[in-house]
Amino acid sequence: MAFVSRPSRLLRPGRRRLLAAAACAFACAAGWPDAGAQEDAAQLELRVKAAFLYKFIGYIDWPAGSFARPDAPVTIAVVGADALAAELAQAVAGRTVNDRPVVVRRLKPGDSLDGVHVLFLGKAETARLAQFTQAAQSRSILLVTESDGALAQGSIINFVMAERRVRFEIALDSAEKSRLKLSSRLLAVAQQVRTGTP
Amino acid sequence: MNLFGAIARSIRLKLMLVVLATTLAALLVAGVALVIHDLTAYRQSGINDLLAQAEILGLASAPALAFDDAKAAGESLVLLKAKPEISSAAIYNARGKPFATYARAGGAVPDFPRLPETDGSRIDGNHFVLFKRIAQDNEILGTVYLRADYKWLQRLLNYLGIFTAVTGLSLVVALIASVWLQRVLTKPILATATVAREVVEHRDFSLRARKTTQDEIGSMVDAFNDMLVEIGRRAEELSASNRSLEREMAERLRADDERAKLNAELEQRVAERTAQLESANKELESFSYSVSHDLRAPLRAVVGFSKLLVEDHALQLDAEARRKLDVIQSEGARMGTLIDELLAFSRLGRKSMQMSDLDMTELARSTFGGLNGQVEGARVEFQLGALPRAKGDRVLVGQVWANLLSNAVKFSSRREKPRIEVSAISDEREHVYFVRDNGAGFDPRYRAKLFGVFQRLHSASEFPGTGVGLALVERIVLRHGGRVWADSRPDEGATFYFTLPKEQVHEPV
Repeated sequence: MAFVSRPSRLLRPGRRRLLAAAACAFACAAGWPDAGAQEDAAQLELRVKAAFLYKFIGYIDWPAGSFARPDAPVTIAVVGADALAAELAQAVAGRTVNDRPVVVRRLKPGDSLDGVHVLFLGKAETARLAQFTQAAQSRSILLVTESDGALAQGSIINFVMAERRVRFEIALDSAEKSRLKLSSRLLAVAQQVRTGTP
Repeated sequence: MNLFGAIARSIRLKLMLVVLATTLAALLVAGVALVIHDLTAYRQSGINDLLAQAEILGLASAPALAFDDAKAAGESLVLLKAKPEISSAAIYNARGKPFATYARAGGAVPDFPRLPETDGSRIDGNHFVLFKRIAQDNEILGTVYLRADYKWLQRLLNYLGIFTAVTGLSLVVALIASVWLQRVLTKPILATATVAREVVEHRDFSLRARKTTQDEIGSMVDAFNDMLVEIGRRAEELSASNRSLEREMAERLRADDERAKLNAELEQRVAERTAQLESANKELESFSYSVSHDLRAPLRAVVGFSKLLVEDHALQLDAEARRKLDVIQSEGARMGTLIDELLAFSRLGRKSMQMSDLDMTELARSTFGGLNGQVEGARVEFQLGALPRAKGDRVLVGQVWANLLSNAVKFSSRREKPRIEVSAISDEREHVYFVRDNGAGFDPRYRAKLFGVFQRLHSASEFPGTGVGLALVERIVLRHGGRVWADSRPDEGATFYFTLPKEQVHEPV
């Protein structure tokens, strides 16, 4: 397995926590209109992940036949992350990506994956990742996770935290198996890109 | 030597100047046009390049902005070092905060705008400045800011340098070309000019210019030579005719001299003769005056004594004797009248004239009125037109009217309806007055005799008169500088004309 790794600045964990607390304290006290600043770090992370999820759509090419019509909606299914699903539904309301509206669907384990284009597995469901992988690959579903090591189990994009920021890593080999094309511009901003198995 | 003077006098320098000026003008126009075009193009292409660069940057950094990856954005900015003219660049996020920046290596630390400006490009001194929004799916992700060198002045200076060098070189080449060209062109002209100068200086029309080319200059040389031939011929003719003219002039002058001398002699002779004539005339007048005067005394005696004879011895005389004595008396009275008129006539030559402004209409009317009392003028139809005023002696001119009008009355008296018309016409010099009647008239063959003293065309028994009246009229009119004439046919009436000049002339001698 080859990793294209980007150098990252090093910050000691202790100091990082301190900074986050200070930033929050300052933001809360000042009462900034920016809603995100008022929330705690977890809420912020949730919001960022939700935003990234629908922004990914613009950099992905699904194989022909994935959509019934040119303006058919892109469906994002969320499993095991209800808070994120709610946040996402709010974020995509009224938005279009590549002239397609975006629909959010909450799924429970066992629900059909038909008509789904993006599937997000919350941390709670990471254990069942392997169950989804097969179905997702056959349906050309962009599988997004938020657990360390998920790429190795068939996830295509996996959120990671780096320097207190939400970043993501990409597995191109898995994307190829799902017949998905990821824009090189997306790869350029990924934390790391796994290109294939040796 | 003054440069302008030299150019004005030399066709060679003029030609050279023309060539150089033409070259310089062409280069200047072309150079200015090129520089303007290039600077405009440079500016436009600079902006276009920057715009393309911003487009690429925006595309490349859109994911970085979308996924909040400042490092990735910074890396795409670093690629700008391949474009050394870009001095600084920045990417702002959607909220207008600086997201990533770039500064050209080796340059001063740039001052980035705190906030991105609206989309567009502008020139800021020696820099292009450009802002370009990064948008995706109708969402503004951020803004690209680019600042690049705009080295128009340096470019202009470069061009000026090149232009100066090219101009200098071109002028040198043009100078060489013009020296060679003008030699071909001016040589025949200069040769012709030299010949022309020699012709003028030496007045030698036998000189000829040499023809060396077949172009317009060649034909000019031909024409010049033809002209020389013509001028030579003309000069020859002119001097010949001058000589003959001079001869003629001399002859004419001599003839004029002779004529003048002759004239002088003639005038002197005329003057002498006139003086003789005048004195003879005077003598004659005084003679006739004294004769007339002296004749009156014996005539009075003859008439007086014949009267006494009739009165004192009437009883002793028979009828025949008395008739003869009556004849003696009437003839004597007639002779007395003759002598009186003769005296009046001769007196006219001596009397001086009193010139005044005369109302001729009034004068003619009053004169006719005077006649009316004596003769049977009441029957006469008298037509008097408006007569122009004239200058003259009132008494003498009145005498003219009296004589002419009484003549008219006299000769028309036998008509059933006698008519007399008096009128006048004027030209620029004189007034012509005339008296026309419908009387007996006269034979125009005797017109010349009309105005002679004692000349009569009719017998005294037919129309009484002494024959002095018209002679008197002529004399008076002549003294006033006028003329007298008459026109008639027998039995068709007569018209008598006399003129008086508008301007008073000197009384003729």
